[in-house]
Amino acid sequence: MSALSTNVFAQARMKWLLVVPLLAFFVVFFVIPVGLLFATSLNPQAIGQVAVTADLTLDNYLRFFSRSNYLLAAGRSVILGVIVAAITVVVAYPMAYVIAKTEHPGRNTFLLILVLAAMQLDMVIRLYGMMVILGDEGLINQMLRGLGLIGAESSVQLMYNFMGVVMGLVQFALPFMILTLVGVIRGIDPSLEEAARSLGASRRRAFLRVTLPMSMPGILSGSLLVFALSISSYIVPALMGGFRVGVLPIHIFQQVAEGARFQFGATIAVILFVLSALAVAIYLRLGRRHSGGLA
Amino acid sequence: MGFVQFKGVTKTFGKSVAVDTMDLDIARGEFFSLLGPSGCGKSTTLRMLAGFVAPSTGSIHVHGRDITRLPPEARDIGIVFQNYAIFPHMTVFDNIAFGLVERGENRADIKRKVDAALDQVGLGGFGERFERQLSGGQKQRVALARVLVIEPEILLLDEPLSALDKKMREEMKFWIKNIQKSVGITTIYVTHDQSEALTMSDRIAVMNQGRILQVGSPVEIYERPNSRFIAEFIGESNLLSGRLTAGGVRVGDTVVPAAQAQGADGAEVALLIRPEQIRLEPVTEGEAPMLTGRVADEVYQGALRRYQVETGGQTVTVEVPNRPDLAQLPPGAEVALYWTPESGVALR
Ligand SMILES: Nc1ncnc2c1ncn2[C@@H]1O[C@H](COP(=O)(O)OP(=O)(O)O)[C@@H](O)[C@H]1O
Ligand SMILES: [Mg+2]
Repeated sequence: MSALSTNVFAQARMKWLLVVPLLAFFVVFFVIPVGLLFATSLNPQAIGQVAVTADLTLDNYLRFFSRSNYLLAAGRSVILGVIVAAITVVVAYPMAYVIAKTEHPGRNTFLLILVLAAMQLDMVIRLYGMMVILGDEGLINQMLRGLGLIGAESSVQLMYNFMGVVMGLVQFALPFMILTLVGVIRGIDPSLEEAARSLGASRRRAFLRVTLPMSMPGILSGSLLVFALSISSYIVPALMGGFRVGVLPIHIFQQVAEGARFQFGATIAVILFVLSALAVAIYLRLGRRHSGGLA
Repeated sequence: MGFVQFKGVTKTFGKSVAVDTMDLDIARGEFFSLLGPSGCGKSTTLRMLAGFVAPSTGSIHVHGRDITRLPPEARDIGIVFQNYAIFPHMTVFDNIAFGLVERGENRADIKRKVDAALDQVGLGGFGERFERQLSGGQKQRVALARVLVIEPEILLLDEPLSALDKKMREEMKFWIKNIQKSVGITTIYVTHDQSEALTMSDRIAVMNQGRILQVGSPVEIYERPNSRFIAEFIGESNLLSGRLTAGGVRVGDTVVPAAQAQGADGAEVALLIRPEQIRLEPVTEGEAPMLTGRVADEVYQGALRRYQVETGGQTVTVEVPNRPDLAQLPPGAEVALYWTPESGVALR
């Protein structure tokens, strides 16, 4: 009896040990940096100073919320994240559906490899690839000129604007969304759709009433992921927006790398972090509703 | 003419044949079972009737109408799946209302019919629950209510009891049969469990490897199987090897009367006798036994005693009710085996 309970306790303790490396990693690489970031954002502005001091103030936050260009940047980031998430869902869902419903193992693997291959290349390389297509001298503009649809000297602005950033982010986020959705759609028991069909639902109705609502957890978590990836991306707005689309990461970069204003840069970063956290909170709320009370 | 007809239906997946030139005739209102080992093509048969898979060749008719190419939603056939397939994102009420909503019925009618269906399956007051708040038996009832509420012409059940524990299974067996009887719906029931098929069915089709081996009433299937496979698959059986002869089957030196003993004299057959149909007695001068032998083993099983009797190099299993008035037959005892002539069946 007592030997048994000791054993159970020993096992429980062992389980804790398993979590320790993960916990240590989390503390060293997440809690401490974010904590320092937060502390830095509460230090008064001192150009060139990196170290955290005990001198605390809310000045940086007051500055952020009193300047319309920063508020606009925050709004732009949120709108960008929402638009990218929405477009990505719409584009990714059909692809994910096809992959999930492809039973043939060879074909299925092939499709997944196609999706993963897109993730293999570094983002910068992929973005230069997009520039070749979308740039002022890119394929599309050359084609339009060749067809005489636009003048020989003119070009259609396909990048270095908001749309360009959106397109860059969508292609960046697509594989993440597809993989998330494939997992969820595959987890939906096919007999549910069949049950719906034999109860009188057409293919379309069965999709709308069963498959789509049951994909909701995947759509939500995929959107959350893409939203977070999009609002925190620096490289895509930098290359596809040519620094002309002022989202929060661009401002952070300008403050830190160009102005050496670490305190204000940290402030913007904290606000970006809070925006992501808010998205998570909304997601949890929606997720609870969708699973009928139980997460 | 059958209400449901399969005419030469074959279904192949790649090179493997799941259902092989099947002909079936099922009467209106009948409780018809497809019985066979796992993988023999029962579900595929049901899924072709439901419209989820198309036959490779052949056609399926309901009420004389060819439905082979109709989509599932146009067939008016309800199906209860092995795992019940309750929509997890909907309440029990919405699950049962699903088909009515698709038929465009108005709210008041839907409410009335769903409530009646819930009462019919004994789940009044469960309307607001979700799937995960239901026990296996309750899910089963929801799945059945969801189908019955739309009053389909045909009800399909694919191993509906296999996910339940034994006690629940016994209970649901009779419950399903009663509901089926009271509704009078043509029902096709798929199972690999012979006791379910024997208990519930009007008729049974026994399948193996995509083919139907025999169709008949439970009594016919159990007492007059047409092959060794069926004799062994359904119930317990003694299959004694012997040869056809004028009066029946010659087992060793004895000629034993047998049903279905047609064929060329001397042809090799198996003589089927069910263990519970044999009477075991000490050897006496009186009435001539079917066979004699020696008790090799006796196992006490509570309600009955199970004997292994050696007779002419073959072993016969005999089940004897555990009654104090029946003679004790210890191992080694010489015994006589009796059964009524109809109990013996010659099988090729
Ligand atoms: N979708 C499918 N693809 C390939 N083979 C299948 C498919 N469905 C069934 N089969 C095969 O057909 C045979 C019959 O299966 P099934 O009808 O499910 O048998 P049962 O229901 O009697 O257990 C099995 O060998 C099974 O592997
Ligand atoms: Mg099956």
